[in-house]
Amino acid sequence: MGFLSPWFLAAIAAVGLPIWLHLLRQYRQTPRPFSSVMFFERRSQSSVRHKRLRYLVLLTLRCALLILLALAFANPFVNRTSATAGRRKLTIIAVDRSFSMRYGRDLDQAKDAARRVIASLPGRDLAQVLAIDSHVEAMTQPEVDKNALRSAVDAIHATDQASSFGELTRALRVMDQTTGMRLNVHFVSDMQESSMPGFRDLRLGPHTTLVLHRVGGRARPNWAVESVTAPPHVYDANSTRLTTTITGWQTSAVLRKVTLYLDNKAVASKEVEIPANGRAQTEFLAFNVPYGFHRGEVRIQPHDELSQDDSFPFAVERSDPQKVLFLYVGGRAQQAFYYKAAIESASNTGLIIDPEPIERVSSLDLSKFAYVVLNDPGAVDSGIAQKLCGYLSRGGAVFIAIGRNTDRAGKVPLYGSRIVGEHDTERAAALNADEPMLRGLAQLENVQFFENGTVAVKPDSRAVARLADGAPLLVEARMGEGKLLVFDSSLDGTSSDFPLHASFVPFVVQTGHYLAGFEETTPSLAAGTAIPLRKTRDQSTAADVIGPGGKHELSLNDASRAMSYTLLEDGFYEIQRADHRRLLAAVHADRRESDLRPAPDETLDLWRNTGDSQPAVQSGGIEKQTRPWSLWRYAMFLVLLAAVMESIFARRYLKEEKPAV
Amino acid sequence: MSTALANRFLDPAVLAGISRLDLVARTVVEGFLAGLHRSPDFGFSQEFAEYRAYTPGDDPRQIDWNVFARTERPYLKRYRGETNTALMVLLDASASMSFSSGAVAKFDYARYLASALVYLAHLQRDSTGLIVFHDEVANILQPSARHGQLMRLLHGIEGAEIGKRTDYKRPFFDLQTILKRRGITVLISDFFEDPAVIVRTIEPLRFRGNEVILFHVLDPAELAPDLSGPALLLDMETGDAIETSAEYSRVEYPQKIATHIETLRSKARSAGLDYVLLRTDQPLDAGLREYFTLRRERL
Repeated sequence: MGFLSPWFLAAIAAVGLPIWLHLLRQYRQTPRPFSSVMFFERRSQSSVRHKRLRYLVLLTLRCALLILLALAFANPFVNRTSATAGRRKLTIIAVDRSFSMRYGRDLDQAKDAARRVIASLPGRDLAQVLAIDSHVEAMTQPEVDKNALRSAVDAIHATDQASSFGELTRALRVMDQTTGMRLNVHFVSDMQESSMPGFRDLRLGPHTTLVLHRVGGRARPNWAVESVTAPPHVYDANSTRLTTTITGWQTSAVLRKVTLYLDNKAVASKEVEIPANGRAQTEFLAFNVPYGFHRGEVRIQPHDELSQDDSFPFAVERSDPQKVLFLYVGGRAQQAFYYKAAIESASNTGLIIDPEPIERVSSLDLSKFAYVVLNDPGAVDSGIAQKLCGYLSRGGAVFIAIGRNTDRAGKVPLYGSRIVGEHDTERAAALNADEPMLRGLAQLENVQFFENGTVAVKPDSRAVARLADGAPLLVEARMGEGKLLVFDSSLDGTSSDFPLHASFVPFVVQTGHYLAGFEETTPSLAAGTAIPLRKTRDQSTAADVIGPGGKHELSLNDASRAMSYTLLEDGFYEIQRADHRRLLAAVHADRRESDLRPAPDETLDLWRNTGDSQPAVQSGGIEKQTRPWSLWRYAMFLVLLAAVMESIFARRYLKEEKPAV
Repeated sequence: MSTALANRFLDPAVLAGISRLDLVARTVVEGFLAGLHRSPDFGFSQEFAEYRAYTPGDDPRQIDWNVFARTERPYLKRYRGETNTALMVLLDASASMSFSSGAVAKFDYARYLASALVYLAHLQRDSTGLIVFHDEVANILQPSARHGQLMRLLHGIEGAEIGKRTDYKRPFFDLQTILKRRGITVLISDFFEDPAVIVRTIEPLRFRGNEVILFHVLDPAELAPDLSGPALLLDMETGDAIETSAEYSRVEYPQKIATHIETLRSKARSAGLDYVLLRTDQPLDAGLREYFTLRRERL
């Protein structure tokens, strides 16, 4: 016997209350008038003794009531061996279809093993086929039809995703709890060590028996292009640089030919010596990239048994630097001096500054600019503000710097927030370097932000940098599909000495890349990565995804509603997002799968033993199980009984205490 | 009026429903008289009753001189209508008299009895007086047979209020100064006092030729308390509290109160006092009958 919530037993201490009431508390009785007490004698001792004797019944009931109540909450249980009809058995045939199963004939061997399990099933036994990669997919419902099971096994194809044994274990635990059946799981896999999670995630359910079927040999050498580092945008062919890493697992030292392809044309090639079980890096410099999007690939030759990871796709775009519209007021074009100098001093920013007076906005096509900078605009004309807001809602980006003009206007244009109060000359304090617009930016040491108004942060936006007194310094907001940054200082040096500091350049470049959307493009993504298609659900503009096979991957409904799309296959995806931006995404198989070293047998044994490693004693089809059997209902019944008895006795005693003469 | 109906009007529980004390007295007495057997010794007329030999202390004016002339012995000629006497009612109004366990409190019972007695005495043209007392004398009405005396007495009884403790010495001191002729003195009380003290206080009246009747009024719960458990009892006169048990009230208390009653009865009789125990759940006729019997003996 035990208690599921033993800490509730502490409530038994409450029995001290009735004991105090009955035994320690001085008994007080209401005097009853009598004509004369001259014939009475004091009988206090005997009467009190009599009182205690009689009240002990009530005391016992009250103590029992409290003890039983505490017991009920402590949830007592006894281990009860029940002879019940055994759970019905469900055979689960789980087949690993991750990228590593492409090695040699591993997947075919796994399917053969699964078919053998199906063939060995007794006639009426239920079975279900699951396919495993980073997710678990049920290929069938629980079936007795072996042909349906075999068909499901035949339909399993290898994917480019990594396998997750933790995901399989979680799914089996859920089935253990919900099906009410005994699970006999046959898992067919190459048992990669890299797919094993922590042991806490490998715990199986109590009615689950795991049988592991390993396919493939233990020594399986594999070389792979592990990574490619390339710029997603190329603005100058002379400065093009690509770095790639070639890795071997369980391999000896070899010489491999590494070739760079661009749009399936070999651009450059090198011989690389790869050490045993090691890595080698090589660079391709100053290769020519024509204008536009291009499908790049790094391949090693000759191929090994797992040829799919011998190439690594990447996407690259050659374009001219994008224009940034810098809007100044009052005819002072020199306001753009510091900002323009910062952009031009950095290499390969992909941005050029185009200063224009703010009055010209109405005649400009804003969609041609990567983003717009408003330097201390003051009160903006409603027509200009309307045009800028429309640009923002369609996916544009605006950087607003607050100076004395805007401070006097008392309101941040476009953002709509009021400028409240005024901060003293302060330094920047909280700077979150993890934010994409501030990535890699050190503290703004020694930068003085002069007296200026404080921007009130609206509920749907956030301050990503603050001054020492807590006033927001940089506020990020979303407006429709667009991005807006509000900087509580001007960019011309009138509100701070920031432009005179070295940290001004990375600040301008990082915020510029963020606003221009450069941060969202990477040369290659791992299979299984989700890419955003739109920023708000109410954006009705259709998005489009063309997969590696050249087919449109989105249905009409998904094209107008899907927020993101998961890139599953190795290859290139042409994506048009809801904000009309186009990009080419290169997807590579998860390189964790390239490490084919199997998990040690000891680890697999431990995994098996987390389940029902000791089958229940069976006798003539009857299964005996020991289970905790909760007694709280009985305790509550006794509580009710004690409460009724206590009421009866208490009522009786109270009645007796009324004057009887 | 039938006997059963007459007895019903002697039931104190029935009398408690009658608000006016004169009606109570009248109801009691008429009910009582209707229940009596007809007897030549009882009646109310101016007819000749008897000759009785003169005894020292008799009024010499009542000597029948014609008989003396013939017999040379002094005889007193007695008529029914002239056999009146003086009745003095002493009503205990101490706090203990207010005790009640049923429909009628002891004090109410005592008032019914006193009013019935004065009404009966009024019918016999006896001069009647009243003393209401507790630890002090609360009210004194001089004995008189004059017109209006009955109503004064009834008002005095009805207006009596409960006092505090009982002190028998004060009323008997006043009584001795009031009484100028021999008569019947009725003391209605619960007598929660040492019997020796009670008798010693009252005894002197008897020496002066007065007949004294002690009406001992007790509630049934005072004779046998019904305590179902331990109880804290508060003395209504002294305010003393005492904790007692049901066992004591069942076994020892009845013995003690019985001993008290018996002691009082024996000491009263030894001193020539009449003693009548009245329970408040019993009809009033026992008290009236005792008074009637005593009065007949005196005549």
